[in-house]
Amino acid sequence: MITIKKLSKIFRTEEVETKALNEIDLVVNQGEFITIMGASGCGKSTLLNIVGLLDSASGGSYQLLNQEMNGLSESEKSKIRKQNIGFIFQNFNLIDELSVFDNIELPLIYNNVPTSERKKKVEAIAERLAISHRLKHFPQQLSGGQQQRVAVARALINDPKIILADEPTGNLDSKNGNEVMELLTDLHANGATILMVTHSDYDASFSQKTIYMKDGMVISEKQNSRNVDVLVTN
Amino acid sequence: MINNWIKIFLYQLKKNKLFTILNTLGLSLGIAGLIFAILYWNDEQSYNDWNPHKKHVMHAVSYVSYDTYWATSVATFEPYLQKSFPELDSYCYLNQWYYNEIIQFKNKKEIVPIIDAQKTFFEFFPFEFVKGNSKNPLPDKNSIAISEETAEKLFGNEEPIGKEVTYSGRKLVVRGVYKISGKSSLEPQAVTNLINSRLEEDKDQWGNFTFGLLLKLKNPSDAEKVAFKLQRLMSENRELKWAKEQGITLDEWKKQGGFQTQILLEPLENARLHSKVDGYAEGQGNYQFLMIMVGLSVLILILSIVNYINLATANAIQRAKEVGVRKILGASKSNIVKQFIFETVLITTFSILVALVIVELSLPYYNEFLGKTLLIHGSQFYIQLIVIFLIVIIVAGIFPSVYVSNFETLKVLKGNFGRSKSGVWLRNAMLILQFGIASFFIIGSYIVYQQVNYLQNKELGFKGEQIIQIDYRNPYDFSKQGMREKLLSRYLTIKQELSKIKGVKQVATGSFSFGNGANSSSSFSHNEVTIQGQNMGMDFDMLDMMNIKIKKGRGLSEKYASDSISSILINETAEKMMNEKDVLGKEIDWNGKKLKIVGVVTDFHLNGPHNEIPPMAFFHFKTVDWMIFNVNKIYVKVNPEELETTKADIEKFWIKKIDGDYPFTYDFVDKHFARTYETYVKQKDLFSLLNVIVILIALFGLFSLASYSIQRRMKEIAIRKTLGAETKTLLKDLSKQYIVFCLIGFLLALFPVYFLLGKWLENFVYRIDITLMPFFIGFVILLILTLVVVLSKAYQATKVEVLNYLKYE
Repeated sequence: MITIKKLSKIFRTEEVETKALNEIDLVVNQGEFITIMGASGCGKSTLLNIVGLLDSASGGSYQLLNQEMNGLSESEKSKIRKQNIGFIFQNFNLIDELSVFDNIELPLIYNNVPTSERKKKVEAIAERLAISHRLKHFPQQLSGGQQQRVAVARALINDPKIILADEPTGNLDSKNGNEVMELLTDLHANGATILMVTHSDYDASFSQKTIYMKDGMVISEKQNSRNVDVLVTN
Repeated sequence: MINNWIKIFLYQLKKNKLFTILNTLGLSLGIAGLIFAILYWNDEQSYNDWNPHKKHVMHAVSYVSYDTYWATSVATFEPYLQKSFPELDSYCYLNQWYYNEIIQFKNKKEIVPIIDAQKTFFEFFPFEFVKGNSKNPLPDKNSIAISEETAEKLFGNEEPIGKEVTYSGRKLVVRGVYKISGKSSLEPQAVTNLINSRLEEDKDQWGNFTFGLLLKLKNPSDAEKVAFKLQRLMSENRELKWAKEQGITLDEWKKQGGFQTQILLEPLENARLHSKVDGYAEGQGNYQFLMIMVGLSVLILILSIVNYINLATANAIQRAKEVGVRKILGASKSNIVKQFIFETVLITTFSILVALVIVELSLPYYNEFLGKTLLIHGSQFYIQLIVIFLIVIIVAGIFPSVYVSNFETLKVLKGNFGRSKSGVWLRNAMLILQFGIASFFIIGSYIVYQQVNYLQNKELGFKGEQIIQIDYRNPYDFSKQGMREKLLSRYLTIKQELSKIKGVKQVATGSFSFGNGANSSSSFSHNEVTIQGQNMGMDFDMLDMMNIKIKKGRGLSEKYASDSISSILINETAEKMMNEKDVLGKEIDWNGKKLKIVGVVTDFHLNGPHNEIPPMAFFHFKTVDWMIFNVNKIYVKVNPEELETTKADIEKFWIKKIDGDYPFTYDFVDKHFARTYETYVKQKDLFSLLNVIVILIALFGLFSLASYSIQRRMKEIAIRKTLGAETKTLLKDLSKQYIVFCLIGFLLALFPVYFLLGKWLENFVYRIDITLMPFFIGFVILLILTLVVVLSKAYQATKVEVLNYLKYE
């Protein structure tokens, strides 16, 4: 699904040049749940932003669904982004001035989905994420965990091909964080492709594969194994 | 989509109530100002618009000397107009001013504004005839055509056609009833055809410019040709003749300073605003004032739009996160632009509604100010309103929207809203523009105030306090024998009787009015010099009663027999023009008569303090016996302590003995005089009012802008406080840039103010010089206001809790 070859990103100011990504190679297949980990400043957020078409690389190739993303105009990127990618952020990034319903509905509006269909979809996904009782409230009235759930609902509403999560539990306590991670696991079990960035080993253990980065380069990969208790009944 | 936009717009509205109100109010005031100017403009432009002949009807204006244009022409053209001018459809001699006289039918008497004209009048002003013969409504000199309004007043429901009415001692038959079809330069309520006998009297007088002349051209482009023909006729009968009499050629005569009269033909459609003369009874519009109004209101609208843009872009920073999120979720740049333009549409619509309310509420005062009856309606007006709407949205909406849509998503999500350099510079430039406009208004209105003050306090050369001028009807019939003596003795009787009334100190009269000028002028000459002097016919007491001083020689007095036969006084201006070392005792040729100068009168303002003092010739009524015809006011000096009773007594006497028909109308001379420059006092008031509005809008903007920019620097201020900065230093730091902008804006306004106000001052013959004072005061006021606004906001900022702004990431 995603093929990255020799991707570089250089931040230039008037006097200083910073190499945030140094010729990275990465492949993400459909249905994979991958974590990127590393110390602060290693470039993982930068990589995620480029994958999410929020930023452009300075060199190398980034192919999404067999289409080259490097060199596309902003409007083209915007179109691909809204049809294929869902974002989850550390600080939720909900629009405080709109209700929960309006927040979740927003991507549908930008994708020109008609009003009646929108209502149905929003209610369905709210149900799925157990926030139906909060649809008329405003983000400031919700707990951190609930806000993140709203953000996840918003990220999922368009059935994106890939979900990008940047430190999704960073602003949550352990109980809420756990809930969010179980949610992501659930989504993955249903076939979603997820790329996550995190500091926490615990969170990383929910994914299939962890990629370690340092100073803009991939230094190692690790397959994760999780002990899941399965109860089989006849 | 729109619902989503509306929801967020309303939310923002509630959150920022104060700023939204200030912003909307500023925009409304700007739009209201423009609406006022548009209403005035539409009204002025609509004069004569209905008239299908407006391009073909030409007014013959006589250009008789270097800067003198007369609205009248000579009767002697008539035979030539009939025979030698194929370019003309028709012509019409008329009196361009209304006779406000009584028309009587049976027992009903009404005062009606009447025009006396030749029978072709309605070919020039084709009013719609509702009754009677529209093809020939004035078949003879015993006919009269009246308006619907007059018909209603005199006849009620009775049929007016064919009935006889009395006017000025004559019996006239009503031949037609017309409706005034639209705003017109002449809107008489009745038209008579008595002028031909007077034209007959002047048929050989090439020097009597007594009548208005209108020409209807078949083809308007023939105007110059026709004018030239008329000019040539004049030349042959005037200047050429005079030159021949002196035995020289026309060119030599011109070299000696003679001025060859020229004729200009002005089409009716230009009469209201662009004529060189005040040639129609409904008067001239003040084109300069109209342009000033439009110019000022456009400036104010610009100011409020700039204000809006500044506030919108500053406010945008608060919305940065929202925009970032929207973009991530797939909004394209044009989606964002459309959203913010939509918000501008909502605010502009609301502002226009508020503006219309403001205009509607203030319309009565505005109408009083302009002396008009304007209404908010008319299809032209609605179209203009839509145009304003579109312009405001485009100008005010585009920049902030584009600015907002260019926010870089990543940066704003991180809270790292770095400003683009060009954005900041543009905003600062607009703030400087606002300061510039505010400076212009403050300095400008001070200069206007200075000039008007100067006029109001100027030494006039006469004392008009406690002197009443009473309108005096002097009815006369040329044909009657001994008319002049009759009129003179009538006046002297009135004078005697009035003087007997308790409280009356003195009575006098003259053929002129203070503020309106003399009622006639004639030329007189001495040696080689010819002067067109205002004819100041008077009795012996006039100059003394008005406290007008004699500079040289003596005044006129009954003691000298020659003073009512051949003596004349001239004023200082005439004396200078005569170029003679000692004028006393010199003889002049006055309109054919030989008169001797016995004194020089000190100059006084005959025509208003803003006009030049013309050369004047003073003589007793008996000296030039037709002068008595030109008297239309009697002046009475009253004792101020018994004012009310004296007035009442005079009124009783007047109604009983002098004129029972017409209402007793009077005025105080000084008040009447003050009205001549009333328009300038009004301009001063207007400018001051606009000044207040401009300052308000500019201060709203400054306040909001300062708030936002200080808000954005809160983190920096918190850090500085932690490091130990004192309040004083912080204040200086925060307000520094605004002082600089204020200064730059002020400097920008300097040249425009100096230039434009200089041009305005050229209206006045007597004017102030532009000194440094207005500039100094303007700067100080602006600086103080700026400091008050900025420092108060800055002071608030320095008092905050530091911790709130030092965040841990």
